[in-house]
Amino acid sequence: MPWYIYLAFKQLFPSGRFPFFTAISVLGVTLGVAVLIIVTSVMGGFGYEIRRMIVETEGEIDVKATGYLSDPKDVLAQITAIPGVAAATPYVKSVVGVQANGRPAYPIFRGVEVSTIESVANLSRFTNPRGALANLDDDGVVVSSQLATSLGVRVGDKIEVYSPLLIEKLKNDEVFFPREFRVVGELYIGHQQLDSSTIYGTLRAAQELYGLGRSVHGIYVRVKPGIDEHGVVAQLNATLPRATTRAYSWMESWADFLWVLNLEKSINFFLLLFIVIIAAFSVMSSLLISVVRKTREIGLLGALGARPRDVALCFCAQAFIIGLTGTAIGVGVGFGVLAIRNDLVHGIARLMQRQDTLRQFYQFSDLPSHTLTSDLVLTVVAAIFVSTLAGLLPAWRAARLKPVEALRSE
Amino acid sequence: MSGAVLAAQGMRKSYQSGDRRIEVLRGVDLAVGAGESVSIRGESGSGKSTLLNLLAGLDAPDGGTLAWGGEPAQANRRAGFLGIVFQSFYLIPEIDALANVLMAARMVKAPGAAERARAKELIARVGLAERATHLPAQLSGGERQRVAVARALMNSPKLLLADEPTGNLDEHTGDAVVELLLGLCRETQTALVLVTHNTAYAAKTGRQLFLRDGALS
Repeated sequence: MPWYIYLAFKQLFPSGRFPFFTAISVLGVTLGVAVLIIVTSVMGGFGYEIRRMIVETEGEIDVKATGYLSDPKDVLAQITAIPGVAAATPYVKSVVGVQANGRPAYPIFRGVEVSTIESVANLSRFTNPRGALANLDDDGVVVSSQLATSLGVRVGDKIEVYSPLLIEKLKNDEVFFPREFRVVGELYIGHQQLDSSTIYGTLRAAQELYGLGRSVHGIYVRVKPGIDEHGVVAQLNATLPRATTRAYSWMESWADFLWVLNLEKSINFFLLLFIVIIAAFSVMSSLLISVVRKTREIGLLGALGARPRDVALCFCAQAFIIGLTGTAIGVGVGFGVLAIRNDLVHGIARLMQRQDTLRQFYQFSDLPSHTLTSDLVLTVVAAIFVSTLAGLLPAWRAARLKPVEALRSE
Repeated sequence: MSGAVLAAQGMRKSYQSGDRRIEVLRGVDLAVGAGESVSIRGESGSGKSTLLNLLAGLDAPDGGTLAWGGEPAQANRRAGFLGIVFQSFYLIPEIDALANVLMAARMVKAPGAAERARAKELIARVGLAERATHLPAQLSGGERQRVAVARALMNSPKLLLADEPTGNLDEHTGDAVVELLLGLCRETQTALVLVTHNTAYAAKTGRQLFLRDGALS
C-alpha cells in the first residue's frame, strides 16, 4: 500500500478509533446518500407501481382502434399470430353515469371478455369475492372498492348505469331507461384512481350500453415473459392496418405521466444532491483544518522524501475514504429506512389520524419503493465523486507547503 | 574532497527582513567523508539550522552547489540517501513507534518482511523494543527522540543530519541520545553532521566546525 493511502487511513481512523471530525464528515455524506436512496427508491416505486397497475389491469400493450374495431376476431387472430404475444383480449372502455341509493358517480365502465381477460390481466386476485370477474354475466358488474363505498353499495345490491347512448335516445324524444346491474364483486387494486372510479362488466353488456354491436374500442395484449414489449409493439404496428389500429406499449400510453414522474425524480435527485454537496463542504473544511493542524507533519513528510504530489494524494485519499465510508453506511441506512417505510408512514398517519388522507393523496395504500440499479449507481458515484472533489483544495494547499516553512510553523 | 558523501561549495543564503536583506550564509564550503562525524556550533541566529536545511535539500540556496555522494543533490534522492533528526522529533502522532520508523521505508517502497525486521531491529537497538507499539503521546521526550533516530537510520542512509537533537531533552537524556547517534553512525559507517550548542557533544565528533559571520571555520 502506498504510504499516502496508509497515512490517510491512519489519520482518519487512528488506532481503529472514529475521531469526531471523521465522524461528522462521514455522517454528512451518510445522510445525503441515505436521503437520496430513499427518495429515488420511493419515486421509482411510484413508477414501478404504475407499471404493475397498468400491466395487471390492461396488459403490456394496448391496441387502440381509431374509432371502433368492427371485426375484432380478425384483428385478434393477427395479433396472436405474432411471436412474443402470449394472449389478447378485446375491450370496450368509456365513461358512464352511475346512480345508487340516490348517489351519482361517473366512473369508467370497462367491458371485458370474461373468458379471456384473465389470460391478459391478472384481475381475479384483486376482487372480493375472488374470481368474481370470471363468473360475471351480462347483468352483473364488479365495482371498485372506493366507488362501492361512495355509492353505498355492497355485493348483491343493484346500480343504475346511464350511457351516452341513452342521452342520444333522449334527443330523439325516445323513452329511455337506465341499465340495471347487480353488483357481484368489489375490486381493490391499491391505486386510488382505479379503486375510486372503475366498473368491470362483460364485453357484451358494454357493447349494448354504447350500441356498438360487435365492435370494440381496442385489444389488450400480454407478451410472453422475457420478451421486450417494444419489439412486439413495432411488429404489431407493422402488421395491423394503420388506418384503423395503433399499438402502444404501456409506457407510451402513460408517456406524459411517466415523463412528469421522471422529471420529478430528477429534480428531487439534483435538489437532494445538495445535501451531499453541503456534506462535501464539511469534508473540505475538516481537511483544511487538518492541513493547518498538521502543517509540521506535512513538513516532516517532505523532509522524509515525500513528493508534493503524494502529499496531495494523501488528502485526496482521505476525502475519498470519507466519501466511500459515508456512502457505504448511507446505502445501508437508506435501505434500512426503506424496509420499515410503511411502518413509519402508517405510524405517523395514525398519530395524526390521517390514514385516509394519506391514501387519497398518495394514490397508493402503501408507500411504494423500487430501487433501480442505475439510480443506485448514480447516487453512489455522485456521492463519492463530490466527496473526493472536496479534498482537492486541502490537497492543493498541503502540496504547496514547503518542508522548511512547514517545519518552522508554530 | 574526492568521494565525499556530502560536498557543499560556496553556499549562500539571505533573507529579506523588512527593508533589510540579511545574509545568513556567505559562501559555506563543507565536505564530509563516509563514516566521518562533523559538528557545527554557532551562536543563536548564526544560521546553523539554515545551513542544515540547505545540506538536506529542504531549502534552495541563493548560490553555490551541493552534491550527495558525488552527484547533484535532488529531492527525489533524499529518502534513500540521508536521514534527518530534528530538535522537535516530529513523529506522526496517529501511528505507533514502530510504524513511525517504518514510515521512512514507506517513502521509498512498500515495506516487506525485510524492512519490518529492520525497523524492529532498530527499535530494539535504540532500546525501545518494549515500547514499539506505543503511540508518540505515550512516550517521553527522550524516547521520542530515539524513535526519530531509528527512523533516520531506517533506510541505511549514507549521511545523517542532526539539528540540535538534544535541544528539547534534559542533560542526562541528551547525553544518551548523542551517544546513541554517534555509536550507531560509527557502527554503520554513516557520515554524521551534528548541529549543536553543546561543546561537550561537539567534542565527541571527529571534526568540530564553528559557524560565524556566515562562514564555517
